Amino acid sequence: MIPGSRLAFMPLTAICICQPAQAMVYLTIEQAQQLMFGARPLTVLPLVLSATDVAAIEHDSGVKVYADSLRVWKAADGYFFVDAVVGKHDLIDYAVALTAEGKVRQIEILQYREAYGGEVRNSHWRAQFVGRHHGDPIQIGQDIQSISGATLSCQHLTDAVRRLLSTYAIAIAGR
Amino acid sequence: MRSPSLGAERARYATGVRLENEVRRARPLLGTVVEIRAAAALTEEKLHTAIGSAFAAIERVHLLMSYHDPASELSRINREAASSEQHIDAETYTVLEAALRFAALSNGAFDPCVGEQLEEWGYLPPSAPPADRTRTAGGNWRDIHLITPHRVRLTRPVRLDLGGIAKGYAVDRAVEVLQRAGIERILVNAGGDLRIAGAWERQIRLRHAHTPHLSAEVLMLSNAALATSAPYYSRRRLSFGEVSALIDPRSAMPYIENGSITVSAADCMSADALTKVALFARPEVTEQALAACGAQAWVQSAAT
Repeated sequence: MIPGSRLAFMPLTAICICQPAQAMVYLTIEQAQQLMFGARPLTVLPLVLSATDVAAIEHDSGVKVYADSLRVWKAADGYFFVDAVVGKHDLIDYAVALTAEGKVRQIEILQYREAYGGEVRNSHWRAQFVGRHHGDPIQIGQDIQSISGATLSCQHLTDAVRRLLSTYAIAIAGR
Repeated sequence: MRSPSLGAERARYATGVRLENEVRRARPLLGTVVEIRAAAALTEEKLHTAIGSAFAAIERVHLLMSYHDPASELSRINREAASSEQHIDAETYTVLEAALRFAALSNGAFDPCVGEQLEEWGYLPPSAPPADRTRTAGGNWRDIHLITPHRVRLTRPVRLDLGGIAKGYAVDRAVEVLQRAGIERILVNAGGDLRIAGAWERQIRLRHAHTPHLSAEVLMLSNAALATSAPYYSRRRLSFGEVSALIDPRSAMPYIENGSITVSAADCMSADALTKVALFARPEVTEQALAACGAQAWVQSAAT
């Protein structure tokens, strides 16, 4: 670094590399329910998708449907969904509250974990997370550090919410 | 003699409030995952309420300044401000004013008029109607005219994209809302553009520019903002060559090297905009711009 300069150069060869261990539990399902619906009772709504439903949802949303990742609860004034989505770099479990009319009222991320390099493309590695829920919380460090870097897109999450809305329209509201 | 603060602490215990609670939440906003971390001697319920208000402030910025949403104020500016002066929200005005300040400070190395090019490369959705190239050629930040109070006019139908600055502004707004709610320690991270406030010193890892799933460096940060720009997640090959979402506004060339720029500043909007200045301005211009904002930059060099 040039004395008095505000530009510091970090030669990458000299940098110690360590893993960022990006895994974070933000809310449990119960906490998200409490946050979105307070004390109002929620009842599980069994969601069975036929092959026709799946085809219709995929056609309507333009997003592939994976079995088992979506769970639904009904309240007097809306619906509560829990879903998981796998992106290019990360895995996200999230919850969505819909109004009784099926409009998105709130989205909260329950768990976020970043993949180490190519892991996310490994189907065995992905299989541990897809369709898996919060009975078995992941181990996280005492003090997870924050990361600064180029922004990771959350397009896959936006797509997943679109698929969720299609699922609602086709398999819940339509029945 | 008993200090008043000890009395206050006892009172908190008496009402069942623990000394300090911490809540972390995350939502998909601004095209990325936004994390808010808040700690204070308040109940968890109060922290959740304050975080909810902070997310609402970010959502407002998102609704006003999204390029993707045809109903946003930014989309209206892009459609109509070249034909007629547009009345805009005070927040949009503030961000445009700052964008022009960074453009002037960097001789156009930062410029919000990159929407058309980013559309062409597929980083932004096609706007309707499409930009008229015969009229946008040569257009830049000098075509944006702000008229007090809260009006804007474009002298060419350029396509403004606030992606290089609005995320930082949104982080600052969230911090303000949390501070007003009496939160003592705050960390807001919008997918890598972050700010920490209050009596808190935290380690922040920087992604390694060549292997971004690993970290390169740990910086200690307190009461400051940090933003990083790098092409590692946005590089892609098109028929005519490689591109990234980072574009040199003056040459219209993408930044496709293996480097990365991280800037720390007092506020996140400045840090966000200055990463683009440091990426595309000459070093002496970058030094001046950093000095003018009391900022500091770290460069991970492209050379291996």
